[in-house]
Amino acid sequence: MSYDDVEIEDMEWNEELQSYTYPCPCGDLFQITKDDLELGEEIARCPSCSLYITVIYNIEDFLDKKSINKLEKSKQQPVAVA
Amino acid sequence: MEESEEGKSSINENEEEEEKEQQVWSWGAGTEGQLRTGRLEDEYSPQLLHQLHFLSSVTVLACGGAHVLALTSGGRVFSWGRGNSGQLGHGDNNNNMLNSCCYPKPITFFDHHSLTHVSAGWSHSAFVSDSGCLYTCGDGSFGQLGHGDYRSHCSPVKVEYFINKNVEQIECGMRHSLVLLKDCLGNQVYGFGSGKRGQLGISTERIKSVSLPQVTNGFEDVEIVGISANGDHSAAISADGHLYTWGKGFNRTPDVHCPWCLPSSSQFTKAALGWNHALLLTGDGEVFMLGGSHHGVLSDPEKMSPAKHLSENANEAALERVAALDGVIVVQIAAGAEHSALVTEDGTIMTWGWGEHGQLGLGDARDQTNPQAVSLGDNVQNKDTKFQVYCGSGFTYAIRTLCVPSQS
Repeated sequence: MSYDDVEIEDMEWNEELQSYTYPCPCGDLFQITKDDLELGEEIARCPSCSLYITVIYNIEDFLDKKSINKLEKSKQQPVAVA
Repeated sequence: MEESEEGKSSINENEEEEEKEQQVWSWGAGTEGQLRTGRLEDEYSPQLLHQLHFLSSVTVLACGGAHVLALTSGGRVFSWGRGNSGQLGHGDNNNNMLNSCCYPKPITFFDHHSLTHVSAGWSHSAFVSDSGCLYTCGDGSFGQLGHGDYRSHCSPVKVEYFINKNVEQIECGMRHSLVLLKDCLGNQVYGFGSGKRGQLGISTERIKSVSLPQVTNGFEDVEIVGISANGDHSAAISADGHLYTWGKGFNRTPDVHCPWCLPSSSQFTKAALGWNHALLLTGDGEVFMLGGSHHGVLSDPEKMSPAKHLSENANEAALERVAALDGVIVVQIAAGAEHSALVTEDGTIMTWGWGEHGQLGLGDARDQTNPQAVSLGDNVQNKDTKFQVYCGSGFTYAIRTLCVPSQS
């Protein structure tokens, strides 16, 4: 069973890991990439232990961003805000 | 490596602390250097740590997400473990300032201060000086440093808000902080940082976060003597032994936005909070738990089915006595994110809860639903020996202090 349900707005964007993260009780971070979110994945895992959380988000928010990005290809990478 | 170097610089072992001899053990999650073993690995059994002269008289240990602060009897503070948000406070070290550190290093910012209290959150740290000033460092992205902005700091910064006030205690949670003031009846408790789950207790409306301290509601006529914070939980104990909790609901009950007094006839003396449970110690040495229905079954999906023990009123988490401790008098409690530890009157350390990283120190990675005695090797029980236990998110420390009777 999922350790917790966490809203995407409560997760933090980690530039180094290129993932949204949330603290894991073991001391490491639950992680999920934007690609995973675009695919509809809702499980964020911790690389150090067996626990995982369910990420609550609206998939359209991520699909929209992607298509917008494609439209504005000339512009620089959007700044991700967790 | 550098640990032994530091040790050499102060070979004269007993010059300061002739009265006390300490032994320190650590166990559990260790990949960030938080165990001080010199290895970046988990330990399933207590590891007796190399004695360090400058750490021979630890009075308080504060364990956070993956870092540790140690306050010595001389009022100095040392830190080690994960440092990627600046929580170790070793700021001036240029490029290395955000590195992890697997040996204790003094926070030189406080070289000319004497500290009385320290607290370690998930990724921030806080310090109280003997003059009642508050300093914070580390991750500030939720306002948890209290400086009026959302910046992080890798060196301690004085919290200006409390400059004319007398801070007694600070407690750091995952993304919030609580402050207890001295001699300030009515406006004693302040909160700042993330408030989404109600953990600041400053408003009945949903508040995302605040970066300046605000008074926690509900204590206008109550004298508070102790506060606790961990995860998204907050708690306070009043002079007359009542427990107040606010923040994330226990056992998936609704969040509590204003401190709520637990109806109980017990006199509570201490609350230790995890991320989903609270341990409570009474004046008689009994231990109670709030939200313990998943405690010790986290690795077992079968048993993780939604709360079996819903209280009569499903909006309130049930208070349960830890029955396995019948007849045992407990003198100290501590809580990690998902594990618990205590010291009994006869100096036994017991642990239970989630054990995947060895944080129970029982030699394996199993969970335990009931308290189990931890073996610290051939330790001679002595009436002049005092044990203390401290929990970080996924790790545990035990300190044995032998108080040599004074010559007179």
